[in-house]
Amino acid sequence: MSISTTGITNINNMAPELPLQFSEDLLSTPQFNLIHSFGADLHFAESNIGKTTRMSRYERLSTDGGQLDGSGIDPAPEVVVRTDIDATMEIYAKTVVINEQVTLYENDKVLTKFTALLGQWLREKEDLLMRDLYASSGSYLNAVGGINGQQPSEITRNDINNIERLLLGNDARTMLEVIEADLKFATAPTRDAFIALASTDITPDLQNVQGVILKNAYPSQEGLRPEEYCSVSRFRFFVSSKGAKTPGTSSPGGQTVYSIPMYGLEAAAKIEQNNYTAILGYRPPYVVSSVAQNSQLYAKFAIARAITNQNWVSGLNVTARL
Amino acid sequence: MAFTLITQGSFLSTGVNVKIPLPSSADYFKTYNLTQMPLAPATAVVVMAEWFGGSLINPNSGLRWKKTNSTNALNLDTFATTTASNGFTYVTTVPVVEAQAPNAITGITAANPAVVTQTNTYQNGDIIQIYSPTGDLTIGGMNFQISSVSGSGYTLLGLANVAGNGLAAATAGFTRRISSNLAVDPQFLFITNISNAIQAVVSTSVDPSAYYVVGNKIHFSVPSGMGMQQMNQLTGRVVAINAVAASGNIGAYNMTVDIDSTSFTPFTFPATALSPTAPLFATLAPAGSATTYNPLTGVYTGYEFAKTPFHTGQFTPYMLLAGGAQSPAGANGDTILWQAYKMEATIYGTGTTAV
Repeated sequence: MSISTTGITNINNMAPELPLQFSEDLLSTPQFNLIHSFGADLHFAESNIGKTTRMSRYERLSTDGGQLDGSGIDPAPEVVVRTDIDATMEIYAKTVVINEQVTLYENDKVLTKFTALLGQWLREKEDLLMRDLYASSGSYLNAVGGINGQQPSEITRNDINNIERLLLGNDARTMLEVIEADLKFATAPTRDAFIALASTDITPDLQNVQGVILKNAYPSQEGLRPEEYCSVSRFRFFVSSKGAKTPGTSSPGGQTVYSIPMYGLEAAAKIEQNNYTAILGYRPPYVVSSVAQNSQLYAKFAIARAITNQNWVSGLNVTARL
Repeated sequence: MAFTLITQGSFLSTGVNVKIPLPSSADYFKTYNLTQMPLAPATAVVVMAEWFGGSLINPNSGLRWKKTNSTNALNLDTFATTTASNGFTYVTTVPVVEAQAPNAITGITAANPAVVTQTNTYQNGDIIQIYSPTGDLTIGGMNFQISSVSGSGYTLLGLANVAGNGLAAATAGFTRRISSNLAVDPQFLFITNISNAIQAVVSTSVDPSAYYVVGNKIHFSVPSGMGMQQMNQLTGRVVAINAVAASGNIGAYNMTVDIDSTSFTPFTFPATALSPTAPLFATLAPAGSATTYNPLTGVYTGYEFAKTPFHTGQFTPYMLLAGGAQSPAGANGDTILWQAYKMEATIYGTGTTAV
């Protein structure tokens, strides 16, 4: 017996004209935490002067000797040393080609959304390029204070303190200011701090480090970046799912090794090309396609990157324990 | 864009792996061995090879076209078919394990240079990463450039694996081949020894001449377990590269720097028994350059456009063509033509109805 014979009008005999509707809001496009650029110094390169930028630093003079003995003999002159840091400008681009039927039939304004996606790509790609700089051209020490039996071990307070010792010994300057104590339960002040950038994979181990102050326990939340995770000793840790890692190379277990750059002021530089920082463009269908059916969106940017002072950047290689 | 030939080129094979940069990426890639194609070579020799982006994308995958022994009849199978040979590897990110799964080693000699025993398909100049080397644990995690490669082993010119360096023979372990360039150059290098000399000689695990030039500055990181603490955090200027012959604790890959290490504590690796708690590794990293100019000779030192500025170390994506007579990049002396294609839409694996 058919349901329709009961006399009730229902969706079995009268289905909606349209089988679905478009939700009023788009769902979020995932974006990983962008942590690798904001600690770098920003420089600018002029156009029409080649593609390599030179950053120079005069090294300080020796403080040895210098006393005049009254004999009239001049002190020995010192040859001034200049260190040149060079970086080559590189251009990156991404494009999306859209058939007219997509823009014709889609419920959403796809060109607007695609432009936003390209803008997101600009920032994400830049972040990964800076991550690669730290991972490739810096010196890292293996963490050894942990108990997971791997070389390197999981991160510990002693390992972090060792990096602080190195940076302080090299006269590195902290990048973040102190957050003073306040009359709030379960909070603790954070010292002026260097920056540490880590993979989200090791956040359980970060929580386990002796003396860790999780972000919620800072006396003030004002001005904190969402990517920040915690503070340990003189370092404030920022995390990203795209933090540097090398799979399968710890000994003896062949675990993933995570690299954590830890640095102070002026340790690295990001150089932008004037008039080429971030370009978003559109090519109409009559340009892209002989029958004017495909249009094109594109994004491109120029970047050069460099470690500008190896004395002020160090880091840890760690594995995960928890 | 219809199915389109994007780029094409050719090279004279030296029998080793070849990287083809592919800025536009590729959906289909093909090689022709123009030298072997008109001949009637032995059965296993590959005269044409194909890679398909939608399906044959595993490392070393692809189709190989071979001629029947001494005739012109063609045979077709995949690179994974018995007897397997290396094919195409499409690489999109660095640093990367290029073509090799973890590969077991059976020994590393206590010698300068160290000799590794391992069944392998590596090639001279490849960079491998060693881990879990039993008996020699404190080199686990380091990268080494290999040479004198045979199917059963190779030499580590950058490693004086001798007692004077605190090292011993290894009896087991694993390796992976990695990209010869990290994502950014100049890159950090692993140190395998630092001599006590008026101008210290720094041995590295890979050939430093690929990354550094005379006049560059390098910054040292020497953890407490490796002796020579006086060198830790110093910056020196490179005055010579690979100028010192291998002997004693000094490896064949080395740089001479303007740091007097005569009175420093000798450099040494921690004993393997101290792993994993011994602090590792000693490394050097790029710290700029000090360009000099000799007005008498008119010679600048300390700068080389291809190496000195910070720049991308490895362009991606690229196609890694395996070298050898049974592989796409051919044997020494073969002329290889390659083509990269793109298509507008990839429909591999969609639908189940034949049309």
